Amino acid sequence: MASLENPLDAVALTQASTAYPRSSRYYGLGTAQFTEADGRQVTYLRRRLLPDPASMADLTTHTVGAGDRPDLLAARYLGNAEQWWRIADANPLLDPRELTGEPGRQIRITLPSGVPGGANG
Amino acid sequence: MADTGPVATGPIHLTLMMGPQLAVPVAQEIADSLLSVQVTVASGQRSGFQLAFDLAKDSLISNSLLPGGYFDPKTRVIITVTIQGTPTVLMDGVIIRQEVGISNQPGQSTLTVTGEDLTVLMDLDERAAVPYPAMSPAARVQAIIAQYAQYGITPLVVPELIPQTPMPTQRVDFQKGTDLAYINQLAQANGYAFYLDPGPVPGQSRAYWGPEVRLGEPQHALNVNMDGLSTVDQLTFAFDGTAREQPEARIQLPATRVSSILPVPEVSILRPRLAQRPAPALKKTVIGDTAKKDSGQGIAEALAKAAESADAVTGSGQLDVVRYGYPLRARELVGVRGAGITYDGRYYVKSVTHNLQRGSYTQNFTLAREGLIALEPTVVP
Repeated sequence: MASLENPLDAVALTQASTAYPRSSRYYGLGTAQFTEADGRQVTYLRRRLLPDPASMADLTTHTVGAGDRPDLLAARYLGNAEQWWRIADANPLLDPRELTGEPGRQIRITLPSGVPGGANG
Repeated sequence: MADTGPVATGPIHLTLMMGPQLAVPVAQEIADSLLSVQVTVASGQRSGFQLAFDLAKDSLISNSLLPGGYFDPKTRVIITVTIQGTPTVLMDGVIIRQEVGISNQPGQSTLTVTGEDLTVLMDLDERAAVPYPAMSPAARVQAIIAQYAQYGITPLVVPELIPQTPMPTQRVDFQKGTDLAYINQLAQANGYAFYLDPGPVPGQSRAYWGPEVRLGEPQHALNVNMDGLSTVDQLTFAFDGTAREQPEARIQLPATRVSSILPVPEVSILRPRLAQRPAPALKKTVIGDTAKKDSGQGIAEALAKAAESADAVTGSGQLDVVRYGYPLRARELVGVRGAGITYDGRYYVKSVTHNLQRGSYTQNFTLAREGLIALEPTVVP
């Protein structure tokens, strides 16, 4: 991040450096500009690369049963239904429906990527 | 910035990483003997932490780790809590001190390690006369912080409000003392704050040098005296009449030798208003040693002094994270409800102390703003 010319703009920028909340999978992703053929500038969100599932520390393993859904699993293990994408990341899948599609499948429930396992309290 | 949802559901995971240069997750045995964690995060001050371990007689810690230097000073410690799947790095620092309390009572012996955030590393080497020709304070800070990139520190430096790039033919600024002392001195002279913001992933931190961020969306409101809706047990507010000062700076023009009083600009450029009725400045102070400085420096210093003392209203209290629903973050805004017309409204969270133990997560916090009566009719609930 570079400094801006006007200090007051810079302060505002530190706050709104990302429009997504901390819990979003798009948190911290930057934007980029694309210039179309007719000269129009289009701002777009950069591509999100999936983290390496091997880097995530296991919390537990879940065996898919009938009626399981990614959001229900996220609510049960992580405490928040909106965090289903973390389970999808760990397993690694792009389509969340595949997670619970077939009963009997073993699903990893992990800590977020970058946070190694260890103390648990 | 919005959080996902109240933490009333779901587990809270604490991850402790330690190591001489590269912090790695601690062994399960160390994790099991961890009794409590306390982390203090404050704006414009060094953050600190304290870890307490159970020191059993024949444990791994007392037999091999403690004598082997695992808890020695300058060991790096990273503390991360994962709440509802979202990690928050509470602390990235180094151990400064260890205390061992041996007790006759079984199970009462403890090892307590205390440490501070990575700014302590900037405070170790005293430098003698480092010149910064034709560099603005922001450029100097940027250059200093860049030396610590190996610790994962990236600078976020806001340029100073009043430009003060000196002409090399007239004046060359020198650094005396440690890097941290010089950065703090430059921050103070501009009314800025300098702190390390750990995260977003363990091992990285952002060094922020700029005005306190008193903008943006406030965090979820602290409710007090609202029966079942209360999220805070008690809040104490104080209004100190002598806190606010009106500084006066005199400069002398070298050519004419005429001295004049500098006009002090309105503080609100540095700190957006949070209250309707700002406290009046009862005290008048004279800033010394401004005569030989140029007017840019003089104005910046007067503005800094005015901003520094602008917070006449302070509040403090304690909350339980599960009851409040969210972990309160320091150095951001928060709304207060239920404290009456005078003290309701938005505040800047000056400092937060996290207290983590098995099964409990509480926070002590201090709030600050410049006056009484809320600016807006409502706050974010």
